[in-house]
Amino acid sequence: MSGPRLKPLLKSTLKGTFAMALGLIVLAASAAGLGAAPGDKASAALAQGERMYREGLLPSGEPMQAVVSGDVPVAGTSFTCVSCHLRGGLGSWEGGIVTLATNGARLALPRYWKFPNLSPEERKDLKLQNPPARPAYTDEALAHVLRTGIDPGGRELHPIMPRYYLKDPDMALLIKYLRSLSAQLSPGVDATTIRFATVITDEVSPEDQQAMLVPMNNYVARHNQISNGFGNRMYLGVGGNEMSGSYRKLALSVWRLKGAPDTWTRQLEAYLAKEPVFALLGGISYGDWKPIHTFCESRQLPCLFPLTDLPVVSDTDWYTLYFSKGYYQEGQAAARYLHGAAESTPSRIVQVIQDGPEGRDLSAGFRETWQELGQGAPKEIRLAKGETLSPAALRSLVQQEKPTVILLWTGPGAFEAIKSLAGQPDRPGTVFMSSRLLGAKAYALPEQARTFTWLTYPYRDPKDEPSASKYADSLLAGLTERHPETRISTRTYSMIQILRQGLMDMDRNFYRDNFMDRLSMQRDQVLPDYLRLSFGPGQRYASKGCFIMQLGPGPEPRLIRKSEWVIH
Amino acid sequence: MNGRRNRLGARITGLIFVSWAALPGPLSAQAPPPYTRTLEGYAVPEVTLVNQEGAKVNLKAMLESGEPVIVDFIFGTCTTICPVLSAGYANLQTKLPAGSKVHLVSISIDPENDTPKVMRDYLKRYRARPGWDFFTGKREDIDKVMRAFNAYIPNKMSHFPLTNIRDPKTGKWIRIFGLMSSSEFVAECRKAGIL
Repeated sequence: MSGPRLKPLLKSTLKGTFAMALGLIVLAASAAGLGAAPGDKASAALAQGERMYREGLLPSGEPMQAVVSGDVPVAGTSFTCVSCHLRGGLGSWEGGIVTLATNGARLALPRYWKFPNLSPEERKDLKLQNPPARPAYTDEALAHVLRTGIDPGGRELHPIMPRYYLKDPDMALLIKYLRSLSAQLSPGVDATTIRFATVITDEVSPEDQQAMLVPMNNYVARHNQISNGFGNRMYLGVGGNEMSGSYRKLALSVWRLKGAPDTWTRQLEAYLAKEPVFALLGGISYGDWKPIHTFCESRQLPCLFPLTDLPVVSDTDWYTLYFSKGYYQEGQAAARYLHGAAESTPSRIVQVIQDGPEGRDLSAGFRETWQELGQGAPKEIRLAKGETLSPAALRSLVQQEKPTVILLWTGPGAFEAIKSLAGQPDRPGTVFMSSRLLGAKAYALPEQARTFTWLTYPYRDPKDEPSASKYADSLLAGLTERHPETRISTRTYSMIQILRQGLMDMDRNFYRDNFMDRLSMQRDQVLPDYLRLSFGPGQRYASKGCFIMQLGPGPEPRLIRKSEWVIH
Repeated sequence: MNGRRNRLGARITGLIFVSWAALPGPLSAQAPPPYTRTLEGYAVPEVTLVNQEGAKVNLKAMLESGEPVIVDFIFGTCTTICPVLSAGYANLQTKLPAGSKVHLVSISIDPENDTPKVMRDYLKRYRARPGWDFFTGKREDIDKVMRAFNAYIPNKMSHFPLTNIRDPKTGKWIRIFGLMSSSEFVAECRKAGIL
């Protein structure tokens, strides 16, 4: 691509945007009319079409059948439309392959990026078209391209696009769904602004609230300041690298939740009804994130990296991107370490669990992973909330169960009991604890117990942490206290970096599903706190790692790594 | 700021280039996508990887055991070429004669996410038969393997389709860069003497 050509291309791109925006308005208006009385039959048909698109299953329950790469047969159970065109339908680019947008808004528009007045015959003679031109899709043309790979511009699609064997009624369902997919822009965006909110629950201390809000407000202010100079004429990196031609100001509201968690849904509904937002950013709660997660799922509302160690762990939920699986992931790491990395797999394992959501998630992460690895269920003992494990209780547990490993998912109150194990000939080989649950007190673990007590440590090794000055730019300015142990401002900083890239990748396609698709396709990020934040379509927990650490000697002990970051 | 602008410019230019390269224009649309074929002598590193059952395997010993073997690089949540590579593997398995010893090996380029369970589920989705194994491992080991096969990429989203067939007689590798049709894949296996 040579320099001089870029300008006309840009010009035509901008013209195309205008035409598309007009088209979208028309389309949105007509869809709103149709949507007034959807009817059970119509929504059932859409659900069937969605199942074909996402799961590759026909209404009969049979997999869709297709041929790819010329002659390779493939069933919808292996991969299907969503695998390449993604949930939002805007397509992807990967491995040198571009899969084009197949969402309702795009299919309904012709794609003439250049020379819009040429006839189809003249157009065929053009060698360079990017992406190749075609008229708007009719239903017939869509059926034809899905079966044969020939688009209405006469172009044969790349052989990587499956050619589907679909009967007319099934084809009609899929087309109906494609027409509806990302056909209307999502709420929370208008011609000038994208609206976001962040959720804070009422037990969060003012210091912790500020640690999150200051960098977020700084970011929004800085982003919006750019437009003072350029208005809405932002394109291609002039004045910054966010959002290119799709520049919008950002607005951030704070949604404060009060009272019991079972009232949060109602409060969230009221906030959203009053002020539609495109997505939630960050958010902070000391308790279970589940009510907010469930709300986001039910309203198909994205939520980016809430500050919680109690996320919902799910293989299928879509709308919340978490930094990690929190406490659950620490339990998982202990199980994987004991199974694979340790010298021999221990046979008798006891979990001692302090009552509460942290203990629940730590022990569930261990138990479920341990069983998935083909091992039996560990013995579990529960301590009441606030109950301390006494040396006598631990001794009697050891004598009775003779465990080779004890997982102590408790606070530092158990330190004296662990200390009493030192020097005992029948003590278990290893004791595990969670550094996150112990907090700063983890370093006070008695020296006598450090040789056999290991810590799950879900963050980067502190000695490898980039110094604060490298990333504490103006976003963190204004924070009087940084409270590094809570990692609130640094994680907020990471959220913002990922958001910035996501806004740019989303471009003008302000669909919530597309936003999640684009975030998922980011390259891996090296940011504070976690050794690596890794992405991938559908992946919802960016940090997959956790170290197993041992404490060195002395009053200010060093952390000594016992494991890799990612443990298989 | 300049650096950022340049990176963005490069990214956009790159995208345009990629899309031109990847999407054949109308005149070339009928031609099958070309793949390139070269003969390579890879030095397989001595690393221990983990398969979908959680079993540890020495990669060099496994690949150089003298049994016929094919290696590709994929990841469980890929959105474009991995599904097609894997459809090719699944389809090849249906064409292998009963008792064939051809070992299909897929190596994860997303070891963070591709745990044994993810890999098991992936193989199940493609109805993989015994003889097709999926491996993950430490990132540094995966990087070593990618480098050894001249397949290194720092970011999984920019990977490329690559299939390597080992000729059991010579120990040489046939490196196929690009996507093959089913008949081309079978023909290449025949040429390598493993089918």
